[in-house]
Parts: sequence; structure tokens; C-alpha cells
Amino acid sequence: MDRDPLTAAPSRGPRRIRRWATGRTDQRVERTLGALAVATLALIGAMLVTVLVKAWPSFSNNGLSWFGPGGDIESQLRAMAESKALPGHSILYFRAWPLIWGTLLTTVSAVLIALVVSTLAAIFLTEFAPPAVRRILDPVIRLLAGVPSVIYGLIGILVIAPYIDNHWISNARKASVGYVVQLSGADVMTASLVLTVMILPIMVSISAGALASVPASWREGSLALGVNRWRTIWRVSLRTARPAIVAATVLATARALGEAVMLSMLSGGRGFAPNLLDGLTFFFEPVRPLAATILQNAEGLTIPALAHTIYAIGAVLLISAAMLSLAGWAAKQQFKRYGVRA
Amino acid sequence: MRAHRTPKHRTIVLSAILALALITPASAIASKRLVIAGSTSMLPLVEKLATAYHKAYPKIPTPKVEGGQTDIGIDDVAAGRADIGDASRDPIPGVDPTGLVFSKIARDGVCVITNTANPLPNLTQETVQEIFTGDMRNWSQVPGSTLTGPIDLFDRENVSGTQDAFQNIFLGEALKISPSATQESSEGLEVNAVGADRSAIGFVSFAATLNGGVHTVDYQGIPCTLPNAKSGQYGGVRNFWMVTKKVGTSPQAIKFIDWVTKPGNLTVRKIVSSEWIAIH
Repeated sequence: MDRDPLTAAPSRGPRRIRRWATGRTDQRVERTLGALAVATLALIGAMLVTVLVKAWPSFSNNGLSWFGPGGDIESQLRAMAESKALPGHSILYFRAWPLIWGTLLTTVSAVLIALVVSTLAAIFLTEFAPPAVRRILDPVIRLLAGVPSVIYGLIGILVIAPYIDNHWISNARKASVGYVVQLSGADVMTASLVLTVMILPIMVSISAGALASVPASWREGSLALGVNRWRTIWRVSLRTARPAIVAATVLATARALGEAVMLSMLSGGRGFAPNLLDGLTFFFEPVRPLAATILQNAEGLTIPALAHTIYAIGAVLLISAAMLSLAGWAAKQQFKRYGVRA
Repeated sequence: MRAHRTPKHRTIVLSAILALALITPASAIASKRLVIAGSTSMLPLVEKLATAYHKAYPKIPTPKVEGGQTDIGIDDVAAGRADIGDASRDPIPGVDPTGLVFSKIARDGVCVITNTANPLPNLTQETVQEIFTGDMRNWSQVPGSTLTGPIDLFDRENVSGTQDAFQNIFLGEALKISPSATQESSEGLEVNAVGADRSAIGFVSFAATLNGGVHTVDYQGIPCTLPNAKSGQYGGVRNFWMVTKKVGTSPQAIKFIDWVTKPGNLTVRKIVSSEWIAIH
């Protein structure tokens, strides 16, 4: 007698009914799952359309200059909040460059630092760490990856920002840029460093997983040919793990791009484009990335002009995230031949 | 196992119907709602009141609250486009349309705060304006200050009601808070920032000063306390009004305003005193 695992359970009633029920269950499950999958896609589609429709007035009013520099962005947002247009401009007048520059600065610097540190940490974890250390570090890293960003924000605002303000920024430095911008310890450097710490765990976790799944025979083969350990790691393990490292980087970049809570607390809360020509002061200048700007202005969603602008910022973030996934996919293609999957 | 393959198109049609059902908004049922329009400063308060009103009278739909501007709200009421107008400034005879009733619902005010290491005794309106517009940048220029060094300005985000109150009460139409100021996104963060920075100055609502941690500065010689604000002695306050037509106002609108201004209405009192000053 063949025992179908689905129908082998203790059963009542004749076999015919059980068969009928099983067959229908398959069909029902297929339809339900199909509906859920389509519903997810439809929701994403609806979300994209909603955001773009609501954002359109802001884009059509400003054209491509939306992305460019021009004037003080805080005055522009304030004008919208007060429903009083700036003299000589439309109420929707908006130049987002300081926000875009702020997003680029925090995201790119955090991801670059995290990429180097996480790769080295992953190599240590898989190749050098004694098993006891690995057993402790593995769960700790996974735990860190799940810490809510507001916790990082709190630590930053209660400890790091006041420390930097009191010990690193001299009064002379404050006075030197006082007419343009105020230095308060919450700045592009603090924000980028805390962001790095936030995205590190997930990158270490994925990279270490990929390095561990490199076939042992490949490394042994390399060692048997007389290649030293570091060169083996560099030329065999890391090369093989490249697709996973790219995937980790994309994931981390997406998180950094969308981070709002921690950045609105720690980046200085002012739409300002830090100037590289300011030398060391550059690191202490405030920024406000796109996502944090949405958060800080969300209270004004009932004001039409501000709402269009907030949705426009949201649309830029959505499209950047989509392009990021695409770029990650494209980057992975050429590494795939000898790579391990993430 | 018998795998019953459903024709693909049937799955897709069924799925699409289910998906549509999921995303159709549930609140597409039309009903007569009270429309309240006007001052953006009053928006957070009136939205809270509207929600609580619906909770108190579940049969009456939540009034629809729109922002904009005090003057737009007043004009909308006069023209019949809104049932109630929100005004965050006192009525101006001769400027406002005639035939309107202004009902005072609450007071709004802010305190100027500094670090406890900088117990500034008093500030005049002129000094407040000079500090916050960025004309005065060093504590040594501020009368009564024992501190020297640059002034750190702490502002609130543009859409905050507290920022709007400070702007309108202390600075007026012509002056603006220096755009270089750091913006904090909540009262708690503002108090924390001022409490952590010796050379800081900022502003918060009355409720936020009650827990200490910062020094509350007297304004024009009057301490910033709730009794002083209620009595009208303290200068850093303004009135919140609800505006209706003298004749032809809907009974619903009258009922709502009566509920808001009813003496001893604990629900309203609790909402108002969370960030504003209750007067009823």
C-alpha cells in the first residue's frame, strides 16, 4: 500500500473523500498563493503610481533644476510650510541638491568604510578566528544586525554628538563659519560613522557566509601549489565570494539610503551642502539626507505644496533604490562564473 | 500525487480580483463631514480635538481638518467654503470680513531656554530677535550673560507648531530665524540638545519645561510659567480662535465649538494642556 504523506495521518471517513479533498486543496493553495503574489506586485505598483502622481507637480514645476543647487533649502521648505511663496518664485520652488549631496556623502562614505572593514572582519572570522571566538561572534553579529536604528540615534545624540561638540570643535572653528552654518557635533562625520556601524553587521554576516562556502578543495589546491595563505585568501576565496560581497554591499547601501530616524537625529538636521574647500571643518558641517527630510517634514503633509515636495523626495528615493538593485544585479553578472551564490 | 493544474488565465483573473479587493480603500463611503480650515499652527491641536470628538460621539464623523493660513480660513468661513475657520491671531476689526464670531479655544506660547550653566536672568524682545535672527553671535554681547563664546541656536523643524508660535510671537512677520540654526525634530530632542551644550539657546512649549534639565529664561521681566501665561502677564503667548458665521452656521459646527469650549471638559483639557495652554 502506498502511503501518501499527506493522507497517511489518522483519518476518518472513506478514502474517496480524502482523495477529493486533497486534490481540491492543491488547487486552492495554488490560487491563494497566486493571489497573494499578484497582490504584492499590485501593491508595489499602486505605491509607485501614487508616489509619482503626488510628486508630479513638484517635478513639473521645477524641471531638471529640482536636482540642482539654488538658494537656501530651509527657506524654501519654510515658505511651503507657511503657504507663502518666496518673492519671485512659485510656491513649489525647490532645489534639492543639498539633500542629495548629504545623502551621497553619508551613504557613500559609510558603505566604503563598511566594505573594507566588513571584508577584513569576514576574512578573520572564516580563516583565522579560533572556533570558540567564532561561536561567540557569529550570534553577536546577527544580534547587532537587528538593533533598531533609533537606538543608534539615541546613543549618538546622548553621547557622541555632545562629546564631539565639547572636545573636537573649538570656538574659533564655530566662529569661522558662524555666518553660514552652525556646528553642533551632529554632523556629516558623526552621521557617516554611526551609519557605518549600523550597516556593518549585515555585511560581515553575508560576506563571512560566502567565504565559508568557498569549496575547501579550491583553497587546498591553491595551498598545495605553494601559494601562501594570504594570497590564497586574496586570489581564491575573495574572488569566489565576490557576488555575495556585491549583494551585501547593495543591501547595505539600500539600508543606508533609506535610513531616516538615526540620520534625522544625528546629521545636524539642516539642509546644507558641506563644502570640501572648508578643510577640516567640512567633517563638522551638518547635512540632512533625503529620507530624514521626509521624516522631519511629515507633519506638513496636509499642506499641498509641501506634500508634493515630500512625495517628490520619496519618488527619488524609490527610483534610486530600484536602480541600485539593478546595478547590483549587473555587477554580479561578470563575477558569476567562478562565484558562490549569496 | 495528482497535480490539478488550473488554467493560467483563471488563476490570474482570480488573483487580480483579490488584489483589487485588498487595495480598495475602506473609507470610500461618503458622508457629511464638518470642514475646518485655516491656521497651520492650529492644525496639530485641531486634528487631535477632531479625533477625540469622533470618539466622544461615534455617530458623528470625524471633522475634516485642513491647513493653509489663518486668513484663508477666515475667508473660507465668510464665503461658506468651510464650517469653521482656525485663526492663530486676534481678530482685526476693519480687516476681517464682518458677520463673524471668534471663539477663543486655547492659548499657545513658548519659553526661551538656555543651558543650566548659563542661567540668563532676562531677555527683552529686542535681544531675542537679535539672537535668533543671527545678528548677535557671541554670548559676550548678550546683556546679563556670564558666558563668552559663540551662541549655538537651536530651532525646531519648519512644520513644527512650536516653531511657528516662536516665529509669530517673538519675531513677527518681517524677521526670520537664522537659517544656520540647528533644527531639532521634537521637543525632547530640543531640550536634550540645549541641556548638553553650554552655549545653546532654544525654545520649547510650556509643557516641555516642566521636567527641568534646562534653564527657563524670563521674557520682558516675567517668568515663563503657566500661571503667568494664563493670566496674560507673560508676553510670549498668542490666542487660538475658532471662527464661525454669526448667522447660518450649521448646528454641527456649533455643537463642536460648544464641546471644545465647555468648561470642565476633561478630554479637551487634557489634549490642550499636552502642548498648549488650556483656558476653559
